Formats: sequence, C-alpha cells, structure tokens
Amino acid sequence: MGGRESTLVLLDKNGIRCDGRKVTEPRRIMIKAGVLKNADGSAYIEFGDNKIIAGVFGPRDVHPKHMSNTDTGIIRCRYHMSPFSVTERKNPAPSRREIEISKVIKEALQPSLMLEKFPRTVVDVFIEVLQADGGSRCAAIDAASVALADAGIPMRDMVCACAAGKVADTIILDVNNEEDQAGQADMPVAYMPNLNKVTLLQLDGVLTRDEYKKCIETAIDGCKLVYQIQKKALTDKFFENGGDQ
Amino acid sequence: MQDDKKRYVIPGDVITTGPYRPDQNVTLDGNRIIATVIGISEISEDTVRVIPLTGMYIPKSSDLVIGKVVSHTSLSWEVDINSCYVGILPAADVFGRDFSAHADELSTKLAKGDLIAARIVNFDRTRDPLITIADRELGKIESGTLIKISPSKVPRLIGKRGSMIQTIEMATNAVITIGQNGLIVVSCEDSNGLLKAIKAIRMIEEQAHMANLTDKVKEMLESR
Amino acid sequence: MASVLDELKRKEIVDLLARGKRIDGRSFDQSRPLSIETGVIPKANGSARVRLGDTEIVTGVKIQPDKPFPDLGDKGIFICTAEVLPIAHPDVEPGPPGEDVIELARVVDRGIRESGMIDMSQLVLEKDKSVIGIFADNSVVDHDGNLFDACSYATTAAILSCNVPKWEIQNEAPVLVEGHESDPPITTIPVSVTMGRIGEHILVDPNAEEWDCIDARITITTNSDGKICAIQKGGNDGFTVEQLLKCADISASAATKIREKLKQTKG
Repeated sequence: MGGRESTLVLLDKNGIRCDGRKVTEPRRIMIKAGVLKNADGSAYIEFGDNKIIAGVFGPRDVHPKHMSNTDTGIIRCRYHMSPFSVTERKNPAPSRREIEISKVIKEALQPSLMLEKFPRTVVDVFIEVLQADGGSRCAAIDAASVALADAGIPMRDMVCACAAGKVADTIILDVNNEEDQAGQADMPVAYMPNLNKVTLLQLDGVLTRDEYKKCIETAIDGCKLVYQIQKKALTDKFFENGGDQ
Repeated sequence: MQDDKKRYVIPGDVITTGPYRPDQNVTLDGNRIIATVIGISEISEDTVRVIPLTGMYIPKSSDLVIGKVVSHTSLSWEVDINSCYVGILPAADVFGRDFSAHADELSTKLAKGDLIAARIVNFDRTRDPLITIADRELGKIESGTLIKISPSKVPRLIGKRGSMIQTIEMATNAVITIGQNGLIVVSCEDSNGLLKAIKAIRMIEEQAHMANLTDKVKEMLESR
Repeated sequence: MASVLDELKRKEIVDLLARGKRIDGRSFDQSRPLSIETGVIPKANGSARVRLGDTEIVTGVKIQPDKPFPDLGDKGIFICTAEVLPIAHPDVEPGPPGEDVIELARVVDRGIRESGMIDMSQLVLEKDKSVIGIFADNSVVDHDGNLFDACSYATTAAILSCNVPKWEIQNEAPVLVEGHESDPPITTIPVSVTMGRIGEHILVDPNAEEWDCIDARITITTNSDGKICAIQKGGNDGFTVEQLLKCADISASAATKIREKLKQTKG
C-alpha cells in the first residue's frame, strides 16, 4: 500500500478517478457458471482486468487420511497466480502472499458451507488467476462461491466480495491496481448477503474510525452489486427459460 | 413457473417465513426458510423443500443404484456408486451365510470392472454404505450400454409413476435400468432403438427443468 | 495447532462467558499481563523479549545495508518474519512454515509497515543504489495463544530500542563508521489488538484455551493518533457490521494502555 509515488491523478476535481470511474462506481464485472467439464462445479469471472477461473471438486475422499474429520467435511483452498498473470513474470511456485490469500479465502467461504452434512470428506476449491488487476482476492471469492453453488454443495448463503478504499482523502468503491499502489487505504471485504455477516476483512492503509465505518459500508454496497451478478450467472446456466425472477 | 408455490432459487434465497417444517435442501434461520442449493422450491401444506438441479449422489436406504466393482478385500467388495462414499458389498451377501474367507474366492463371482445393479441397505454417513445384490432384479449386469447423468435429473427421467421412462421403453423396445445415483444401463436389440433411447435420456438431462419436456421427448421418439 | 480442546473445557468457557466472566478471571476488554525487556540480544542491533501471559516471543532486529526495491530507490527496506519454534508447543513440527505462520508473519509485518512507524526516507545511503535495511525476526518460544499481538509488541519494542549504525559511501560501497549509532527514525507507535468472538462475546487477547473456542477473530492495529492502519479478520466464521464497529472501538481504547508500556522501551 502506498510508498510508490505517482504522477497519476487518482481523483480529479470533478470526482473522476484515474480510470474514468466515479467514486462509487465498480469496474465491469462478468461471471459465467459451469465452464469446466471435469470439475464438479466451476465459474469464470472478469472483474476489471482480473481474469480468474475457479473449480470445485467434492465432496470427495480426503487424502491424506489424517486430515479427514469424523464430524464434518473440510474445505481446502488454493489461490494461485499464473506466471503470466502479472507484468513481471511470477515464479510458478506458491509465494507467501498466495498462501496467506488462500487461507483468508478459505475462511471467507467456510461460514457459507454446510459441511457437517459430509463427514470425512473434503471440498477442494482451486482458484487460478490468469490475469491480475487489483482486487483479485475479492474476484476469486466471487467466482469460488458461484462454483460451489454450481457443484451443488449445500450452502447457507452465497459469499460476495468487493474492496473499498481511500484515495485523495475520499472513500472509493472497488480499488484498481494503480489505486492500490498509490492510494491511502485498501480494504477487501467478503459478505454473506442474506445472513448479513462479514467473512473477510483486511485493511492496508490509514483510516479514522469514521472512515473505517464508511469503508465497510461502501464495500458491502459493492458486495451486494456483485451478488446480483452471481445470481445472474447461476440463473443463466440453470434456469434457461428465465424463471420468474 | 406460474405456480407461486414453486420458484427458482439459489443458495441463500429466502423461500418463505412462517410455521413450516424444513424438508430437503433448506435450512432454518430464525423463522426464515432458506434454500441451500440451486433448484426449484416447493411449499406444500406444512413443509418446504427444494428440488435440486445439481449436486452429487448421497446414498439413501433402499435406493436402487448401478455400481462398478473397483476392488475387494477378503470379506467384501468395494463398489464405486458415483458418490463420495464407496459402496460395500459383503461377501456373505453373495456366497451366503456359510461364506468362508479361505474357501470362497471373491473374484470368481465379481471382478474389478464388473457392473452391478444393487440396493442400498443402510447409510448413516459415519461409515460407508452397505449394499446388497440379493434380489431377483439385482446382480451383475452382463450386457448393455452404461450412461451417466446428473443424479438430480433422475426423478425427471423416471417421471410421474414411471410415465416418462415407460414412454421411452415402449417407443424404442429398450430395457432401461435406472440407478438413483445417475448411472443408467440401456439394453436394446435394435441399434436404432438404442440410439433413440440414449438420445431421449440426454434430452431429459439437458432440459429437465423446462416446460413441455414430455411432449418434446414424445415428438423426438416418434420421428425417424 | 492440532490439539482437540476437551468438550468439558469448552463448555466451561462458554458458561462462564454467559455469566460475564472469562476462564482466567479477566474482563472482556483486558489483555493478559505484558512484560517487555529490551536489549536481550546484544549482538543484534535491537531486541526484545515479550511475555503476554504465558506466550513468549524473542525478537531480534538486524540492520545492514541493502539494495533498495525497484521504484523505491528513495526508501529504506523493512522486512519482518516470524517463526514458531518446535520448543513452543508439542504440536509444532520443525519444517517449512505452514499457512498459519505465514499469515502471522505477514500480519505483523503489515501492522508495522502500514503504520509508517519507521520513516523509510531517512534510511537512504545513496539514492537508487544503497539503503539501510531493517530486518525484524520474531521467534515464538512459548505458545499460549494470540501470537499476533505478542509478536507485534516484540517487534515494535525491538525497533523502538534499536541502534542504527552509520554507514558512509566510499568507492561506491557502504562502509561502517564505528561509534556513531543513532536512534531509529520513528514517527508513531503502532499497537495491535487481537479480539476473538465466542458467540456474541468479544474478548481481547484470547489465551490458548479461548483461542480454540473462538468462532472468528480480528486483529486491528492503531497508531499513536488513534487511526486504524491495519486489519486482519480470521477464523472460520464471520462478524456482523455492528460487531466490527465495536471491535474498532475496543481496540482503540485497549491500545492506549499498551502504547504507554511500549513508549517506555525507547532507547
């Protein structure tokens, strides 16, 4: 967060951001459900210039056996960036950043899954970032939740995610890569819309207590927008004749 | 979807509130009944459930399933029943109560790769499901074509009181054995009939949730 | 950690909470006793041993010249790591760090980095070529819950009390000038406060037994001016927005007491 000085104007006098968006405008988001043949569930998302694919296998047998839990199924999650996904080629081996992100994504999705119904099994969630652009962990969660529903894993709620942040002392919705590098704060949030619970929250950057409140609320507004797009992805695949929504 | 007791739902959707008993694929949050899978919600007199449009097979007692023998120990066979749980067929089920691990060799009766029609005896999630083939219509499947569909589409394939599957069998002269686990064996002496039957099954899998499916299937079966 | 908390203990903790009590008698917004000793590793440029309840951390700060990051040629380097030693707990196995330890290291690092505690622009020897690198390495010696806060306090204390040597550029390379140590360029004192949620109850600084019962946890780091500079939510469940706002308030007030203790460690 910050540190890199930039000649980029992050917010001009008309309230327009460096990529032309208004302060509470998210980037373009598109989600497609059921894109892989072999995975039990899958989804592809484009969120700004993020291009991410999520595949779900399970519930299935756990290997190694000592990881399995007799009372409940477990979830495993791998967030991985392809070497070509960022400007400077990334080493394919998992970095510490990817390992931490895998963990927070797993913990963001876990509260939504009803794994007690499948003792001694595992649900594997694999997320591949094909192209990264700021906010990739939120986009990853958005795709993973759709993939889990596509696989038929029983869920209490969907999980939708979006980041809010601060540039030029203004709270903004959906932080892009330049804003993440040169801005004042970046706060990714994941949220379950029907149960009204936040399942992922991180912050880099400095906020007053009031800015913190505004940032959470702004991010949740973004999550609710994403939820509609997740719904559409599932409706398009499963309810082809439109349903009555 | 004109009937407002039926609705398309995704996980987390609130189906209704009030004094209903939560049935399959729903959960209770306070007094709200919430869908837990993608499917069609159904509110009947005192219960609410969701008919899933996706999801893997979870064994249920007395379900008929088609399975593939994958291995055996000296006491039982392990059978892939298209679920995350493996079916266990005890040797005594086939050899009888006088089964002896020394004298009776399991692979003489059922070998790796054999297909069987079996019934789930019991299943409680704490251990793998027990299955049996000790019944007239069960046992090793000697011939036929194996097809896999999503288990959630099986009820549609069977139809009300078996009407859909009977329509296909009569139009094609095929004999179709349907496993609740989404595995289906089609036998037909006539190769055209076989192809038509398979085509009908695939059609039902793809369009299970759409209206007028029965008519469309009938129309396809009647055409050349 | 792999241990299974026994059911009776879990029940005891939950029952006590319903009656407004914690298993070790603390109030809900109270941290365990904190002791900070600095200068415990004379060979390092800065060091601290922190005990937070029975959790014990030894942290060493090493300062040495390094190349700057690309695009950041006018700033020094700060790197923070953490390791849970096998002596800390029977369930810890030697070997490469697992996801828990990686998360711990990154959260402690961000808490210090995002606060702007060290004025990195004061650590440049030759712009774009040579800068001063401050390396803080935390070793967890005894694990009794809440490694996030313990490591954070140890790192902060080690930095506050460290001595920054002086280097001069001679023939294009940095050369140490003996006897000219200075204080580190400090702008603020970040304090992290970790809270666990058990049911509706929010508890500051969960000990190991409470940690095994929590539904969710959050670590909030605030600066000397009360602003929030880093947050990490963890655990298998979530928080409502109301709980998140409450956590921010609790952490701000809990941090002020701890900041006073940390101020005393300044060299």
